[in-house]
Amino acid sequence: MTGPPAAPALKLRDLTVHYGDRPALLEVNLDVPAGQFLALTGPNGSGKTTLIRSVLGFLAPEQGAVEVFGRPVRSLAIRDRARQIAWVPQEESLRDDVPLRDYVLYGRFPYRGRLEGDSPDDRRLADRILSDVGLQDRASDGILSLSGGERQRAVLARALAQETPLLLLDEPTAHLDISHQLDLLERVRTLCRSHGVTVVAALHDLNLAARFADRIVVLSRGRRVADGTPSEVLSEDLLARVWGVAADLEQDRRTGLPYLVPHQLIATPRPKPSSAFVGPVHVVGGGGAAAPFLRRLAEEGYGLTAGTLHLLDSDAEAAEALGVPSAIEGPFAPLGPAARERNRSLLTEARAIVVCPFAVGPSNLANLEDVLPFVRRTPTFLVSQPPIGARDFSAGAAESAYRGLLEAGAVEVDDLGSLLAALHERLTILSAAP
Amino acid sequence: MATPGPTPLAPRPSGRRWKFGLGLGSLVIGAVVGSSLLGNVPIPLVEGLEIFLHQLSGGALFPQVCAGSRSYAVHCAALTYIVWQLYLPEVLLALIVGAALGLSGGALQGVFRNPLADPFLLGISSGGALGAAILYVYRIQEARADLFLPLFAFVGAVATGLAILGVARGRYSSVETLLLTGVAIANLLSALLSLVLLYNPTGGEQVTFWLLGGLGLADWQVVGIAFGAVLAFGTVLVLYSRELNLMQLGADVAQSAGVDAARVRLVVILLASLTTAVAVAFTGIIGFVGLVSPHIVRRVAGTDYRIVLPGAAAVGALFLLTARDVDYLAFPSSVLPIGIFTAFAGVPFFLYLLFRQRRSSLMGGS
Repeated sequence: MTGPPAAPALKLRDLTVHYGDRPALLEVNLDVPAGQFLALTGPNGSGKTTLIRSVLGFLAPEQGAVEVFGRPVRSLAIRDRARQIAWVPQEESLRDDVPLRDYVLYGRFPYRGRLEGDSPDDRRLADRILSDVGLQDRASDGILSLSGGERQRAVLARALAQETPLLLLDEPTAHLDISHQLDLLERVRTLCRSHGVTVVAALHDLNLAARFADRIVVLSRGRRVADGTPSEVLSEDLLARVWGVAADLEQDRRTGLPYLVPHQLIATPRPKPSSAFVGPVHVVGGGGAAAPFLRRLAEEGYGLTAGTLHLLDSDAEAAEALGVPSAIEGPFAPLGPAARERNRSLLTEARAIVVCPFAVGPSNLANLEDVLPFVRRTPTFLVSQPPIGARDFSAGAAESAYRGLLEAGAVEVDDLGSLLAALHERLTILSAAP
Repeated sequence: MATPGPTPLAPRPSGRRWKFGLGLGSLVIGAVVGSSLLGNVPIPLVEGLEIFLHQLSGGALFPQVCAGSRSYAVHCAALTYIVWQLYLPEVLLALIVGAALGLSGGALQGVFRNPLADPFLLGISSGGALGAAILYVYRIQEARADLFLPLFAFVGAVATGLAILGVARGRYSSVETLLLTGVAIANLLSALLSLVLLYNPTGGEQVTFWLLGGLGLADWQVVGIAFGAVLAFGTVLVLYSRELNLMQLGADVAQSAGVDAARVRLVVILLASLTTAVAVAFTGIIGFVGLVSPHIVRRVAGTDYRIVLPGAAAVGALFLLTARDVDYLAFPSSVLPIGIFTAFAGVPFFLYLLFRQRRSSLMGGS
């Protein structure tokens, strides 16, 4: 026999909130089971804080409902709410130099009658929490004498003193340096694992979210656009779509967790070249040199093919993530006849060829050689930075192949930006010609 | 000033707080007795003390005080009357009103999170003044002015508090909005007051004197009413100290920790208005006590409102009593309105505190 399923710690149903005419949350649904560490993330203005303020009962939803452990949050008396939900705001305005222990005891307010003082139990609890957050030595000091990192831990301690099953954190690490960020979130995670506390933390740093959270929910313009484990949610595509930032997805060798390395802002897309004249652009790369080109070209709306890439190479992973048809060789193997054949057939179809600045050794020299026959009939762009001399590991063979391409009529471009300009111009001219 | 000087800012161990409270208590008792012998008519010290103790003990102590050879019985009876019926009520009223002003100043500073908030700034006092002016100028119930003056002043002050609360109930009102509303209402009220006085010069003199504040209405009945009312309102206010502590973290944080911020705001503003109204009703407008007293306590005993509120009441009481005594000592024959004295003593001291405060942040910058 099993009991009735426990109500989720937090349940949002069609939650909708507007500030004036501006929607802050639109029909957000969310179930957070008890004990989960959920990171709420999204760009500035995506609705993270609004969601947290709704859960706290500060905002009345225009539509939908917020339930905490099965009860509508605004039906709970403010005191009862404070026994269910504690909150660590982004920055608490501390004005009075209250001794730290007294400050932590503020968290016991919902448990004390008007005529009661702080009980010895309360004081013991405060001391235990202070040592949990590593501030036991500062208990008698005034809160204004604490450093920024200590202060945020003090705020956490005050919230923990409420002994609630649900803890909300709103950008708790926004003003902290990296070591204090890790320290604070590590403590939150440890404490919450050991006490079974459910945590909902707004974190704008995706990598921190991936590192600490069981689950990541991404908000964009008030909508829930992604939801899942860090490995399910984190993707280059997500960062491009939601944040407008080009990034590489990597894996942390120590934790096995995914993390994103952001590169640059994706410019507001120009009018996309119409698909009528944009056939695939074939990208030649390897060793990670092609990934940023693939992503940016995809973002600009070009159809793409790629080759010949090595399996497990980050270029091959990027191509796969973007759904780019590619010629692929096994990991670290010299380019074999089958892969080269596939590459050549993709080259045949291409309306333009981009040769990325990849490192050339004996095993992938064929990538340059295979392009040569196509240069005369297909516009070919060689990305010239870093120069070929610096990435030639084939004792000059790469450099002479590169010169061969130039002599056949390939055009050098400095970098991604000038490539985009050149491609745009060239393909427009092509399509304008009869 | 009969209070310990400011000491460097640091959280106080609670032992210091108790000592501070104890010292303050004995100071008050000593001050009450001493002050009761001080007034237009000088009372000989020994005889005065004997009269005091005789009356206090219900005649058990010094039964022969007026039958001795030292003075004529009539003279002694007159002194007894002066000490017991005139000076002591005046002293007690000074204490009660000082406590009321200090307490409501502390509570208002807490609820508005602003070190400048006091009954004056928010117009609660001006509301009382307008009520009194209307009574004098339009000669309403002049024959029973002793009853109707306090009544009108009380109603005026409470009405002002309610007007601010009306705004406080608004959904979008922030603390800043509330404070500014209070300031705007205060200005409107003083404009109205000027208008009333300008077109009705008769009665203006009385109003002016009353505007400057005084203890002239003091008698045992007044003391009884004022004491009961201030004790009742003040006790409830002090019971909101914990809420006020949390409100210093901002209304949102306070609410997340279980404080019904909107309700605390309503209750505290209402109670502070009532407390102020009692004071204004009997003594007119006495400035600066409400502003300065809480600051002194925060300086000396820390920022815990459980200490600040009772402390501000004690400091306010002592402050006003001291002002009364200095008034009599400096001008034995022509008593100046006490409000002038509180300003003379309060302003320099307040400026001193303010400039010291620059270096630390006693109450945050606003």
